[in-house]
Amino acid sequence: MFRLSSISGAALAAVCAASVFAPTVAAQNATTDIGTLDKEAADKAFPIKPPYSPYAGRNFPTRPYFGDTHTHTSYSMDAGAFGARLGPKDAYRFAKGEEVIASSGQRAKLSRPLDFMVVTDHSDGMGFFPQLIGGDPGLLATPQGRKWYDEINSGKGAQAAIDIVTSFGKGQMPKGFPTPGTPAYRSAWRETIKAAEEANEPGRFTAFIGYEWTSNAGGNNLHRNIIWRDNGAKASLVEPFTTLPPLGSPNPRDLWKWMAMCEEKTGAEILALAHNGNLSNGRMFPIIESFNGKRIDREYAENRTRWEPLYEATQIKGDGETHPFLSPNDEFANFERWDKGNLDLTEVKKPEMLEFEYVRSALKNGLKMEAELGVNPYKFGLVGSTDAHTGLAAVEEDNFFGKTSSSEPSADRAMHPFVKTDKAVIMGWETTASGYAAVWATENTREAIFDAMKRRETYATTGPRMAVRFFGGWDFEAADANNRTPARIGYTKGVPMGGDLNNAPQGKSPTFLVAALKDPIGANLDRIQVIKGWVGKDGQTQERIYDVAVSGGRKIDADGRSRTAVGSTVDIANATWTNTIGAGEMITVWKDPDFDPALRAFYYVRVIEIPTPRWTAYDAKYFGIKMPAEVTMTTTERAYTSPIWYTP
Amino acid sequence: MIALLREPLLQFLALGAMLFALYGFVGKRSADAPEKIVVSASRIANLGDGFARTWRRPPSGQELQGLIEDYIRDEVFYREGRAAGLDRDDVIIRRRVRQKMEFLAEDMSVPEPSDEQLAAYLASNPQLFRTEDQLTFHHVFLSATRRANTIESDSKQVAGVLARADAAVDATLLGDPFLLGEEFRGISPNKVTSIFGEDFSRRIAATETGRWQGPVSSGFGQHFVFISERVSGSLPLLDAVRPAVRREWANARRLEAEQKLYASLRERYEIVVEAPPSKAASAEVDR
Repeated sequence: MFRLSSISGAALAAVCAASVFAPTVAAQNATTDIGTLDKEAADKAFPIKPPYSPYAGRNFPTRPYFGDTHTHTSYSMDAGAFGARLGPKDAYRFAKGEEVIASSGQRAKLSRPLDFMVVTDHSDGMGFFPQLIGGDPGLLATPQGRKWYDEINSGKGAQAAIDIVTSFGKGQMPKGFPTPGTPAYRSAWRETIKAAEEANEPGRFTAFIGYEWTSNAGGNNLHRNIIWRDNGAKASLVEPFTTLPPLGSPNPRDLWKWMAMCEEKTGAEILALAHNGNLSNGRMFPIIESFNGKRIDREYAENRTRWEPLYEATQIKGDGETHPFLSPNDEFANFERWDKGNLDLTEVKKPEMLEFEYVRSALKNGLKMEAELGVNPYKFGLVGSTDAHTGLAAVEEDNFFGKTSSSEPSADRAMHPFVKTDKAVIMGWETTASGYAAVWATENTREAIFDAMKRRETYATTGPRMAVRFFGGWDFEAADANNRTPARIGYTKGVPMGGDLNNAPQGKSPTFLVAALKDPIGANLDRIQVIKGWVGKDGQTQERIYDVAVSGGRKIDADGRSRTAVGSTVDIANATWTNTIGAGEMITVWKDPDFDPALRAFYYVRVIEIPTPRWTAYDAKYFGIKMPAEVTMTTTERAYTSPIWYTP
Repeated sequence: MIALLREPLLQFLALGAMLFALYGFVGKRSADAPEKIVVSASRIANLGDGFARTWRRPPSGQELQGLIEDYIRDEVFYREGRAAGLDRDDVIIRRRVRQKMEFLAEDMSVPEPSDEQLAAYLASNPQLFRTEDQLTFHHVFLSATRRANTIESDSKQVAGVLARADAAVDATLLGDPFLLGEEFRGISPNKVTSIFGEDFSRRIAATETGRWQGPVSSGFGQHFVFISERVSGSLPLLDAVRPAVRREWANARRLEAEQKLYASLRERYEIVVEAPPSKAASAEVDR
């Protein structure tokens, strides 16, 4: 194991051992005789064949594609049409890098195009308002429904409408929310498919067909996005699954049944990914199923792992990797935390819920459940996405268009409550400018990206487009970090992120090739960490963080941690930073120093950027406003890879 | 228009409007003249279709009964709600109706275009359809991270070597490994931007092929770039891009039709916008 950082001469020689010329250069001081070097370089370099062949015929992914698996538009139920004006077509145009006029009338454009997108409008909701207006008893039994109904009856229809739209945008629909099935619904689905078909340009931009199944039982977020590998011919053979009986159900088991039916009857291939466990109040990754009160059984585990290869770990409604309560030794755990309650803040959060709603603890519990059930229900890869309800997948800190159309850039959006109940308040400034999905696909097509998602060769970012590689195997050695083609050596000697290790060779520990390259226009990197989770001999789950590469020549202690912070160059008042700290790239080989071949484990990588201004700092600067003291003004963007699992 | 007329919502609205005209308020209505709700055979078939579209099978007898009951419930509440005027002053309904009008404009705007129309559109909007330039290049990468303090002098040395090197040399070995590769074949300037950043992309867009250029800076360090091939984008023939031309053409028509419809509808109104209260007040003072 070694570190790569800004490097002393001796360290550089070791680091670059596999590089023909570089170590020579590095070993020389500045007064090197240039003629000597010329000759030496020429001797070594000239006999070698042209570089054209090594890459021919390779079929492994060479570049990450960045996209959003989770964008809502005005089609998110017809009420959604009332904050957001932009429809699926506009959403795809924006993702492709075109300038559009946002619903608030402002011009909006991404810094660079995305490579793919899924417009995921809510499957529920088309029949909503007639039923509300009709005073459906089920709807009126809920506080929200009652309130809206009363408002409408007392002439405050507009106020109710706005509340409905905002709540729907946030997925805060009351129980008894009506069933769809109307022609209006059908036409919206047709339009959704059509928009994706038109925007899809194989090789250049992938527009997936999809929707969101917005299960919100009791205000607890169990949402899933459904994505098609196929084209509109197959997708239009069905209509989306909803959450309300008689056509739909809020229970994921029924969604999986529907997915099985859809694949069987239409020949399509689809997958689901859940999101925002942080607002599920302990129900996203259950051990005891919330719908029947029973322990998760093998059938649940098989279906979940079959249909849900991915999980959305970070998005505008907060970050879901882990929580300080769960990971007290993780100084990066307290990040964009939304832990006041469930999605509509009708139930406050209790600490014991946290274990069942964050990525890391779910991965750990998954190992434990696998030992019991023979199947790991929580064997998922990671992506980030926006969940924007504006049609605008805009989550760059300096280009954040907010969660809903009412939170598009304005002087007061930060201090406007995002959700407010008698139990708690989440302020606008707490929304997170995050994230994107990165996929190591062989090409930019629906098929290739979908297949990469299925094999979990993905990672989450909180917005920046850093390239992150992670391979696990038994034979990686330090020199591999200097191989000319890290990807080839990675795929040759190991499995990529999302893969499996087993059959540990006698006396060997897993080794990992880990690399990250900063976003070409983004901030430098602070460090790369490997996060290991496992089930101990006592049957208890454990976790541990290893800093495997740190910038700036900082020391990694014997326990695998570097305790010196990278520092900060952020000028909050001017919303700027400089890349004078951190590293542009890092690559290393790491070996688990504490491996027990008898114990189940997983490993994933977390890449941390140096601190940068948060969107609130850009807002304060642009609008010339002063944010209250409690508003977070800096952020440390990051990436989380899918794990590699070790199974004895 | 026909599509719109088929929308039950509009039928409901029309029905509701009639009811509204007839009865005004629910409260005023006499209870001794019960209205009729007819669930027609075609409506039932419709409900069954909706179910089948979700589940890919027809509903069972019991399920169909449930759908019918639900429909009747919808209808009862809907009529009563309309009659009570609950739809008025409601942003949701206003917007939904507007959206339908816009859909309608869109529907009307897309007859199947002729080849002549598409060819003309292609010719007059070449920037939308030009294929992107394709670059094939390899690069020698000097990592700012690996060579913190020596990058400038290393860069000079590499420049010296490359000045005398020819194309056949695998010069990439002079530098450091680059995570995303050393050779890029047939990639577009947009992709170059997404990998190396805009400055780099702009720099190499202007350099000549067949010899080493550099150093070119990126966020990662310095690069010497050898462009072996540059294929300029061209305007493709209609046959090659017909779906894209059709899409853009339809989009342009849609915007145009919506604008036209709005303009023609708006003409029917005399629009009076009153000054906001505060301004009105100050206008008073001025007077």
